[in-house]
Formats: sequence, structure tokens, C-alpha cells
Amino acid sequence: MKELRDLATKLLAEGTVNVVLGWEEGPRGVRPAFATDAAAAGRLVFDPRCTQNLVPYLSPRRTQVKKLGKAAVVVKGCDARAVAGLVRETQLAREDVVVIGVRCGGVIADPASPEPLSPATVADRCPGCNSREPKLADHTVGELPAAPPGESRRDVRIADLEARTADERWAFWQDELGRCVRCHACREACPMCFCERCVADKTQPQWVDSSPHPRGAFAWNVTRALHLAGRCVDCGECERACPVDIPLGLLNLKLARVASERFGYTATDDPAVPSPVGSFQKDDAQEFIL
Amino acid sequence: MNATLDKTSFEPRLTAFVCNWCTYTGADLAGTSRLQMDANVRIVRLPCTGRIDPLFIVKAFERGADGVIVSGCHPADCHYTSGNYHARRRFAFFKELIEFLGLPEGRITFSWVSASEGQKWREVVNDATARVRALGPFSGYPGTELPAWPAAGAPAPNPAPGGGGER
Amino acid sequence: MARIGVFVCHCGENIGRTVDCARVAGEIGKLPGVVHSVDYKYMCSDPGQALIKQAIAEKGLTGVVVSACSPHMHERTFRRAAGGAGLNPFLCEMANIREHCSWIHEDREAATDKAIDLARVIVEKVKRNVPLETIRIPVEKRALVIGGGIAGIQAALDLADGGAEVVLVEKEPSIGGHMSQLSETFPTLDCSQCILTPRMVEVYQHPRIRLMAYCEVDAVEGYIGNFKVTIRQKARSVDETKCNGCGACQKACVVKNVPSEFDERLGKRTAIYVPFPQAVPNIPVIDREHCAYFKGRARGMKKDACGKCKEACARGAIDFAQEDRFVTEKVGAIVVATGYELYSIGKDQPAAGLKGYGEYGYGTVPDVIDGLQFERLASASGPTAGKLLRPSDGKVPKKIVFLQCVGSRDPAKGIDYCSKVCCMYVAKHTMLYRHKVHDGEATVFYMDVRAAGKGYDEFTRRAVEEDGAVYVRGRVSRVYRDGDVVKVLGFDTLNGTPVEIDADMVVLATAMRPRKGIEKLAQTLSVSYDRHGFINEAHPKLRPVETNTAGVFVAGACQAPRDIPDSVAMASAAAAKVLGLFSNEMLEREPTVARVDAALCAGCFHCERVCPYGAVEHKEVRDRKGNLLKVVADVNPGVCQGCGTCQATCPSKSVELMGFTDEQIYAEVNALAL
Ligand SMILES: Cc1cc2nc3c(=O)[nH]c(=O)nc-3n(C[C@H](O)[C@H](O)[C@H](O)COP(=O)(O)OP(=O)(O)OC[C@H]3O[C@@H](n4cnc5c(N)ncnc54)[C@H](O)[C@@H]3O)c2cc1C
Ligand code: SF4
Ligand code: SF4
Ligand code: SF4
Repeated sequence: MKELRDLATKLLAEGTVNVVLGWEEGPRGVRPAFATDAAAAGRLVFDPRCTQNLVPYLSPRRTQVKKLGKAAVVVKGCDARAVAGLVRETQLAREDVVVIGVRCGGVIADPASPEPLSPATVADRCPGCNSREPKLADHTVGELPAAPPGESRRDVRIADLEARTADERWAFWQDELGRCVRCHACREACPMCFCERCVADKTQPQWVDSSPHPRGAFAWNVTRALHLAGRCVDCGECERACPVDIPLGLLNLKLARVASERFGYTATDDPAVPSPVGSFQKDDAQEFIL
Repeated sequence: MNATLDKTSFEPRLTAFVCNWCTYTGADLAGTSRLQMDANVRIVRLPCTGRIDPLFIVKAFERGADGVIVSGCHPADCHYTSGNYHARRRFAFFKELIEFLGLPEGRITFSWVSASEGQKWREVVNDATARVRALGPFSGYPGTELPAWPAAGAPAPNPAPGGGGER
Repeated sequence: MARIGVFVCHCGENIGRTVDCARVAGEIGKLPGVVHSVDYKYMCSDPGQALIKQAIAEKGLTGVVVSACSPHMHERTFRRAAGGAGLNPFLCEMANIREHCSWIHEDREAATDKAIDLARVIVEKVKRNVPLETIRIPVEKRALVIGGGIAGIQAALDLADGGAEVVLVEKEPSIGGHMSQLSETFPTLDCSQCILTPRMVEVYQHPRIRLMAYCEVDAVEGYIGNFKVTIRQKARSVDETKCNGCGACQKACVVKNVPSEFDERLGKRTAIYVPFPQAVPNIPVIDREHCAYFKGRARGMKKDACGKCKEACARGAIDFAQEDRFVTEKVGAIVVATGYELYSIGKDQPAAGLKGYGEYGYGTVPDVIDGLQFERLASASGPTAGKLLRPSDGKVPKKIVFLQCVGSRDPAKGIDYCSKVCCMYVAKHTMLYRHKVHDGEATVFYMDVRAAGKGYDEFTRRAVEEDGAVYVRGRVSRVYRDGDVVKVLGFDTLNGTPVEIDADMVVLATAMRPRKGIEKLAQTLSVSYDRHGFINEAHPKLRPVETNTAGVFVAGACQAPRDIPDSVAMASAAAAKVLGLFSNEMLEREPTVARVDAALCAGCFHCERVCPYGAVEHKEVRDRKGNLLKVVADVNPGVCQGCGTCQATCPSKSVELMGFTDEQIYAEVNALAL
């Protein structure tokens, strides 16, 4: 913690950056902090409650941080992939941000909960994580903690769904997606959703019905998942933001597997790795095409 | 599920999104060769499979299609060299997602049909129609069905709660 | 409000037999926005077209739908008719109720229902069509040819003879390419120089060809009809305008032992040199790496270390101070003809994946040479004046072993393709050898003999039957120096026996590869290339000399291994394509091109990544004070071919393909639900 605070203080004092994005203690667990002076930098924390991905604040469409000047951002391994994603898609110039990586031992699913990190509270994406030390970081702080506890629940759920019949899956998802209220919180939380005008807000023509009936909810969720296919960095923010607990992570993970099995792509914090959107191999599998 | 529905009387409607240079021309050839086929498919002509957005397919189902065909040039034959390669990736993601969401496999048919494959186009049309006919009407969005098709008076699909799959 | 006219064609009996055209016209006539709906026997006939024109005039139609045959058949006809009546031609579309309906269905009821649907879909589309203007691009009637081998020479001559201005850029001091190095050529055994030199001279003298030797293409901007090319003129250190090619400088040069590139390092040249006596242009160049003057400079010497050539030149043409210069040329089309080089068997390889040949000593055995070196040894103008002498000790080799497929068809060495010309030139080499050394023994190790081509099989058979070459089917596992001989250990797979030969010389038919640096050139031109670096043709069957970038063509061995007849045929084909292009004052292009809405574009450039033609460019958006707001995509309408891949990829639908907009397709999909 001291290392992080000292580094933030130094970067601010030197004038390398004008603001450090990190986490600080809030009334309900930790909250995002925008430290612009030594006092604020001294309040930064990092612990398993720092679940939130701060990288969405760097998206050019979110101008609040930009107004403060050059930023440093504190990232976990998963968040670092979002930085790489923005760089890859020319939304952020790598030299315009100082990346402070924190070595991570997993975070809890609900940062407001007082429970400690345990197999029961750990965030879905953490068990088995292999990017606990961001490679893209300019500075990396902290000791590498023990690996996140528990086992992936998502793998089990996906396997379970895949074992069901199409009808059962349809029923399952209609039930889940049926709760969607079309608040688009998933989109707002996502670091990779940076369009100037989301296709869901397009009205001429209106591809995605705006009301929360089954057609609109289905079209929206298919569209969101597909637009993130091969781009999603698996930070879990969409699912966490969802007020009606739709397991969006399952859709993301399913497509991430497609990206890796079919196209050999896994989300990475190396911006030089090309995304599977916009590239192809002549011998990409096509067993589903007659 | 739809026990009341006489399956033989059900004529599915299929929308086909095809590229202009290979499949559309292949379908032209099927015509010139007078290859008889099922009359359930309506073609929407696009320049290239690269232009085909999964949104089209979703919308077609929303608007009452029971099945969709997507077809274009074989790999390496694309009129625009690589539109179909990009489309293939896009369709791979889409197909896997839609299957995971529980849309039965047979409702969407992906194929490559070249300008010389009139015969293959007929098979694609007939097979896709047969598959969708066997699956029955698509009514994936309970309560929001649109009027039946083609003829007025045909029994309206009877939605089963939460159902979109086989019946 | 839309005022659509619909014309349902019977096509004689072709449609009318199965489709009730009157019912189609009647039903469609009820659709909102349709103000005119009729059926007629033959819409494409003059009276049929007159109906359209008349309705446009009388009813003020804003769109026309012809329900008839395939648009591939008559779209142009009806668009022209609509245009003739003052309607924008792109407001006219066809519904295909013949090929896609009447001809493939028998049930009149079902066919008529379907025809109504098909017509309705197009009516809904046309309601959303907007007037488009055919894109006209002026054509700069000059062509750039890159590479002055036989392919480039042929293309330049055909183009210039056809009336076009040509800029021919060659990176070496002389044109000629590999053909100038060959001794005699299969399948006729005529002397290569004798047939090539006259063409080189013709290039030099042609009033419409600007020959730029010792130059390279640095940058290319623009698109078909309008390229702007920046060419680097490398410093020759000799003023071309003064030099008359007398050669005095070369005689005076003190550095005489530079390995000659032209002689494949078997001969020597001076530091100021022309690559070979028949070089075009016949103007020397100073090789600064080996020149004593420049070496002295590089070492920081105050006094000039040499200057003999300058003293020798009566015309004062030597200019040590010359620097690289840049010139820009405007051209309308580009032909790429950069040719090939040979796989080097050495340890150092230019590309990962290529392995070299440790089993053949990585090229360290002096009497193991490659095909081009053999050509130089056999050539009358070569380092041995046409006497076949081996490099190590200058003896006449009595036994030569030729190995085919060295590198080629060998994925383990990094290349899986067949180099196509080796079977032929190895047969040629055995013949040349026997013509020069009558008692010589020529043994060839081969995988198969591929001699498809006019007179080719006869040629390889002649090598065996008349010139006594011994062909052993099998591979050679090792080649090494053993005292005075080169040991060749191989295996005869037809007899199933090992073979051991004490050869005097070994000639390797190494694979043909694209030129070094071709990838960079290809990127400059935004043409695609395969994983080996060969330039990709636009279509392997139907567009063999076009590339995926409109206005850029390809000829010769830079596209794939090619022999001379193939290279020349490609070059002439490319020239014909370019001349076809130049036969128009203006290029007319369908306006089905993509347009970006700069206000919505987020600048993620997925569109740029998927565009097969590199049509998507970056554009800066600034506020009134000139501050940069964002960088967005911008489609160059001259380059876009209208596939629409960008639009389907763009997550926010900020790019629209004219003629196939989202609104049009949405309307079509919706029309099917009614
Ligand atoms: C050993 C051997 C023997 C052969 N014998 C025969 C035969 O008997 N008969 C036959 O038909 N074929 C023969 N061939 C094949 C023949 O050499 C080729 O078909 C022919 O040379 C191809 O011509 P090209 O113009 O495409 O390429 P090249 O001859 O390679 O010419 C390419 C030219 O482009 C120039 N260049 C390259 N890159 C650039 C650049 N970036 N910018 C500007 N200029 C550039 C090069 O300097 C060169 O001048 C033989 C080949 C070999 C290896
Ligand atoms: S889709 Fe969800 S998990 Fe993926 S990057 Fe966006 S917010 Fe993170
Ligand atoms: S329509 Fe096709 S060719 Fe035109 S810019 Fe888009 S991707 Fe490129
Ligand atoms: S894909 Fe769409 S948003 Fe992205 S750069 Fe292209 S036009 Fe703009």
C-alpha cells in the first residue's frame, strides 16, 4: 500500500501526471478515487475489494478525467487488458497514460460486502487467472499474493448449459434475458463500449427494439455479446453493473472460448496482438457452413 | 408441443441473405436450368457476405421468419477477395452464440454456393425448408407474434411459454 | 411521399405461365406509395421501356420497380430507360420473378404469392433509394512499371506502343533482370542476350518510355487513375547527362576485385562499373561501399584517397558529391514486375521458416553452385568466356550432378510450392553441358519431371534421349567435399538402392522466391501477398494479372514462379488491362461505395482492418478553432469497391454502403413479414 501511495505521490509531485486513478475507502467499501494531490494519493488503497475496473474512465467518450490532464491509472491484470484494448483500437495512445500495475490475488465479486476473499466470495473471473501481474504496466507494485481461492464456477455453468437441449437453453435464456430492463448499464460499465452512438440507440432503422420486451431484450443482448466477441477483456464489469443479475459473463466467456478455439486469440494486455475482428485466416474452421 | 398444429399444413417462411456474385448468380443458374425447388425462400440480395450483419438475421426472426439462409462465395472465390473470410468469422461467433442461447441448429443454414452451383442451391433451399418445416413455426418471442403467413386463415402458431425451439 | 411505379413482366410465357402477373400487379398496386402498377408482355422491348418512360413523365414517379428477370440480365437496360426519362437511374431496381420464381416453381398459386413478396420487398427498398451519381474519375494516362526484367520490359513496350506514357523504374543500374544472365533459353536453346538486348535498347529509345534505372519506389498515394508516386533516384555518382559510356573510368579504377553480382560472384568487377557490357542504360555507377575514394572518406581521411576515374573521364561526368534525389510522377496505373531471387542454401536466411541446407554444407563447398551460377559459367559473356570450368580449380568438370527441388516442395525447408521452371532449366543445363563437354556425365536427381508446356516434354526427353543425361529418381541426403571431388550420397527410389557419386561439380536447382523487400513494396502499394511474399492476383482464375487494389497489376515471377513465356504473356495481359483502362477519359464507377458519418464514427478502425482494398483512410476532425477533436474513418470513393464489409463490421453503423444501406435492407426484411 505504501509503495502505491508513494509512487502516486511521486508521479503527481514530479508533474508526470495530473491525476492518479485508483481506489480509496468509501462509505460502502472502496470507491474510485481521482487523486490530484499528495493528500488524496495518500488515501489510495489496493485490496481484494478493488473489484472495479477503472479503465472505462480513460475512454475518450468519458471526458471527466480527460479534463483533469494526463492520468495514471491503477490496474489489475484484467484491467490492463482493457488498456491494451483501447490502445489496439486507437481510443487511447499508450504514451498518454501511465499504467500502475498491482499484483493481484483475486478480488471479491461484491466490493461493498464486508466478507473476506474466499472461494464463496471470489469474483467469477479470478480463479485460475493467469495475468495477475500486468505486463503492460509502467510501474508494478506490491508483492504477488497467493493465487485466488476457489474454482471457476463459470466453467461448470457453461458445461451444464451446453449439456442441455436447445429448448431448455432457450427457456433458460428467455428467463434470464426476460428480466432485462434495457438500462444499458452493462454498456456504460464496459471499457470496450466506446461508440459515439451505440447501435442500440440508432433509430433509422431501429435494429434493436428499445422496449424491454423479449424481442428487444434478445436483440440487444445478442448485439452486445457479438460486438464484444474477440474484444471483451473479461473484467466482469457488465455483469456486476447489471441490476437484474443477468449472467452476461457466461455469454462473454462462451464467445471468448470461440475466439480462442477457432481463432487462437485470447484477451491479452499486449496491444500489438491483433484482435480477431478485422483479421482472418484462410483456413479458419468452417464446419458449420454447407 | 403444438399438438393442434397439423405439421403437414405448415409452410415455413425463410429469408435468404445472399451475395450478388456467387449465390445470387447460382440461384439465377438454377432458374435458367429450370431446377424445381420449394417456394418458401425469399432472397434478399447483398453485394457480399461481408455486408451481412447478424442483425439482419435477428431482425428476420423477429419479423416472423421461421428460418434463415446465409450464402455466398466459397473461400478464395470472393468477388471482393476477402469479404467472405471476414463474414465467416462473424458468422462463427454468431452461430455459436445463437446456439448457446438455444436457437435450434436447423433454423439457420450457412452455405457457400458458387455461381455454377445451381444444383447445390436447390439442395440448400430444399434441405433448409425441410429442416425448418420439421422444426415447426418459430415463435421465440411469446406474446409478440406477428400475423401468420402466407395465407390468411392458416392456423396461427400457438406459442408455448418460453418456447422457441422444436415443437 | 414516394410515388413508385411497378412494372410486372410476363417475359412472354416465361413468367406468365406460372405467375399470375395481373394478380401481382394488382396486389402490389394496393401498397402505400405505389401509384402505378401494370403488367406487360415484354418489359425489355422498346414498347415495354416506353411504358416506363411514359409513366415517369405522366405520374411523376420517384422510383421504378421492374418485376421481371434477374438484375444481372437487365438492370442496366431499365436503369438506362429510367435515366432516359429524367429519373435518377439508381432509383430503379428489379425484382427477380423469373430465375428466382417462375422458372423454379410449378404451383401457380405459390409462385404468384412468392412473386408478390419479391416485388413488395423491392418496392420497400426503392422507397428508400436515394439518387446517386455515377462516380467519374479522371484518368492519368501514364503507367508506372516497377522492375525492368523481361516482364517489366515487355509491359513497358506494349504500353508505350499502345500509346501510353510509361515510367519504368528499375532498382539495379541496368534493366534486363535475370534473363540477361541466362546463357541459352529453353525450350528452343536460343541465346538469351540475343533476344533480350534488342528489347532493352528499344525501351531506352522509345519516345514514350522514361527509363529510371538505379531508382526505387519510395511512396505511393492515391488510387486508380490518379496515383502519385515518389521515386528515389539513388546517387550514381555519375552525371547521366554528361556520360557517354566510353568506359575509360572503369579501366582507370584501382579496385578490381569486387565480386560481380551479374556473374553471381564467379567473376570480378571494378568499383565503378556497368553490370554487363550490354547494360541499358550504359552508364556506370560507383559502388560506394567498395570505392577507394568513398572508403577513404568514411575513414575520415582529409586527402582524397583516389580519384582516378574522375581524372580519366574526359567529359567530367564523375560527381562524388551526388546525393539521392526524389522525383514524383503522376500515373494512372501501376504494373508490378519485380521478379524473383533464388533460395540461398546458406546458414543465414532472410526469413524465419527457411532453413538452409546443412546437409549440402550451407554453400561452403566451392564446386557446389546454383542454377544462375551455372548459367554464367555456360554463357559466352560469362567469367569463363563460355568455357565450362569449375570454380575451385578451373578444371573442366567431367561429372556433374544436378539436384532438382532444392528448397522447393519441401515444407521442412520452409517452402511447399513447386518452382516450376527448374525441371526445364536442369534439362537445359544437361544439354548445354554435353554440348560443351562431349564426354561429360550429367546425372540428375529429381522427384518428378514436370514439363507441361508447348514443346516442354519433348525438350526434357531430348536431354535424356539425345544428350544422354541420366535421371535418377530420388533425393540426395548429403553433399560434401572429399579431396578433389564432391561426394554425393543419394537414394534411387525406383531401384531402391543407395547411390554414391564422386562428382566434379554439383548444381542445385534452388527454389524461386520473391525479391527481398517485396513485402514493403506491396504494403506501399496496398496489394496483398501470400505467406511467401508472392503478390496475390485478384482472382486466381479470372483476374490473374490484376491485384486486389484497383489500378495495380502484376506480371512475371513476382506473382509466382514463372518462366519467360509465362512472364511475357502476363506482361502483355497486364499492358492490355492498363490500355483498356486508359481508353477512357474518365473512369466510371458504380456509386455503390461506402460513406462514413464523421459525427458518429468513433475511430476504432475496424472498418480499415476489414476493407479488402485499403479504401478506408484516416481523417482529422477539428473544431472551429482548429483543435483536433478526433480522428475518424473516411472512405476513398475511388478505391472502395462496394462490398460493404466495413458496414457490417462497424459496431455503431457509422459507415453506410450506398445502394445497400441499413435502411434499405431493414425495409426489405420487414417487407417479408407482412
Ligand atoms: C537458373 C535459371 C534458368 C532459367 N532458364 C530459363 C529458360 O531457359 N527459359 C525460360 O523461359 N525461363 C528461364 N528461367 C526463368 C526466368 O529467369 C524468369 O522467367 C524470368 O527472368 C522472369 O522475369 P521477371 O521479369 O518476372 O523477373 P526478373 O528477371 O527477376 O526481373 C525483375 C526485375 O525487377 C527488378 N526489381 C526487383 N525489385 C525491384 C524494386 N523493388 N524496384 C525496382 N525494381 C525491382 C530487378 O532488379 C529485376 O531487374 C530460368 C531461371 C533460372 C533460375
Ligand atoms: S463485455 Fe463485460 S467483461 Fe467484457 S470488457 Fe465489457 S464490461 Fe468487461
Ligand atoms: S464497402 Fe468494402 S471496399 Fe468499400 S470501404 Fe467498405 S470494406 Fe472497403
Ligand atoms: S468501424 Fe465504424 S466506428 Fe469504427 S472507425 Fe469504422 S466507421 Fe468509425
